[in-house]
Parts: sequence; structure tokens; C-alpha cells
Amino acid sequence: MPQLDTTTWFITILSMLITLFILFQTKLLNYTYPLNALPISPNVTNHLTPWKMKWTKTYLPLSLPLQ
Amino acid sequence: MNENLFTSFITPTMMGLPIVILVIVFPAMLYPSPNRLINNRLISIQQWLVQLILKQMLLIHNSKGRTWALMLISLILFIGSTNLLGLVPYTFTPTTQLSMNLGMAIPLWAGAVITGFRHKAKASLAHFLPQGTPITLIPMLVVIETISLFIQPMALAIRLTANITAGHLLMHLIGGAVLALTSISPAAATITFIILLLLTILEFAVALIQAYVFTLLVSLYLHDNT
Repeated sequence: MPQLDTTTWFITILSMLITLFILFQTKLLNYTYPLNALPISPNVTNHLTPWKMKWTKTYLPLSLPLQ
Repeated sequence: MNENLFTSFITPTMMGLPIVILVIVFPAMLYPSPNRLINNRLISIQQWLVQLILKQMLLIHNSKGRTWALMLISLILFIGSTNLLGLVPYTFTPTTQLSMNLGMAIPLWAGAVITGFRHKAKASLAHFLPQGTPITLIPMLVVIETISLFIQPMALAIRLTANITAGHLLMHLIGGAVLALTSISPAAATITFIILLLLTILEFAVALIQAYVFTLLVSLYLHDNT
């Protein structure tokens, strides 16, 4: 069993530590995962309403009967 | 065929320089991390795989165990890619080295156990004695449980080493048999070759399964200790 020859153990373990704990982890940390696609409708523009919602609701002058 | 069966497990050196460093570092190059918006197929598959493994592995863990996510992912990718690259003919497989597997198993196991003793000391100590043990058996069982705790990293490392080494040896032997049989009886050689093909397919599966088993066991030790 050449695996039990301990002269090469140091260099093998050292290179494994560098690969596993530094190279692999930095690589996986730097992965950029695409986020899930969200539907964004481009036509919604924010109109600034020139009136207040709470009192225009009841007072609609045009819907009054003409005199 | 007169060469030693174990020649392929000798750590490679070239002019006294250890090439084993390059062999071990090489799998890291197969995982590029570009920062583009749209990736190519290889990276997409890798990212899909990473997310799949994350979902499978971290489901059982609590938030403290999930801090090991990066470690477990890099572990399974490292062992898996090393095993698969080792199946390329005439290459050296670093996972056949007991030293490397012990070097992976002992720190991870120790990390999990030390975490357990630090944050859950009572529960960790309770693992040394199963509930409902007769009083006369208590001293012996504590000794046995202690030994079984300390044998865990050895079992982890030797399992991976033995599986990969045995697979490579078997392929080597059957390959030699096919070569020897071709001149004697082509029919027997064909049958042996089919067996060799099936064994190679099995070895591809074993390469991935052993990576999974190693990571799963580390993850289980972590689960017991968080």
C-alpha cells in the first residue's frame, strides 16, 4: 500500500487544505446566482394626482344633472 | 502485467517535485466563477447542481448548522470532481490517498464535535451513555461510546479510500484479464470486456455516491452537534 508511505502526506494534506478551504470556497462564494424573474410591467408610470382621493370621491361636478 | 498493482496509487513526482499539488488543485479550475448576467451551459449546470445540493443537504439543519453550507458544498464538489477526474485513464486519483481523506475527515469531524461540546455540552455528553443502560454496564458502555466517537473520522476517511482504491484495482485487474484473454479465447474476452464496461459505469456511480456519502456523514455529525 503506497498510501501508507508517510513521506508524501505533508504535501498532499497541505495542497488539499489549500484547494478545499481556500480555492473552492472563494470560487463558490463568488458565484452570482440569477434571481428569480419577476414580472415588471414597463408601462406603469407614476402619475402625480393633482387631487386628493378622499374628497374627489363624493364631489363629481360633471355627474350632476344639467340645469 | 508484471508491474505492481499499487503503482497507480504512488503519489506522483517529477524530478523530485511533487506534481500532486497540481493534481489536487486542478478540480478547482473546473469551477469558474464569472460575474456575467447570463452564463454558459457549464456554469448554469454547476449552479443548478449547487442549488440542488444545498436544498437537499441543508433541509435537516437549523440556522446554526446552515452556516456550514459553503463548507459542505465545496466538500462534495471537491470529492466528486476529484473522483470523476480519477476515472480518466492514466491519471492519479488523490482521493485514493489515505492522508488526504484523513486530512478532510478529521478537521470537519473535530469542528462538528467541538461545536457540540461548546454549545450543547450536556446533550453531547449524554451521547456517551444510551438511556436505560443497566448500572453494571455503564463504565464499559461509556468507554465503547467514546471509542466509537473517536473512530468516526477514521471510518469516514477509510471508507472513501477503500472504495476508490478497490474500484481502481478491480478495473485494473479486469482490464488485465481482458488483455490476457484476447489471445486465448475471444469469446471469454468479450464477456470480460462487457463486465469491465459495466464495472466502469458502476465506478462512475461510486465516484459520485462516495462524495455524497462523505458529505452526508459530515452533515449528520454536524446535525447531531448543533
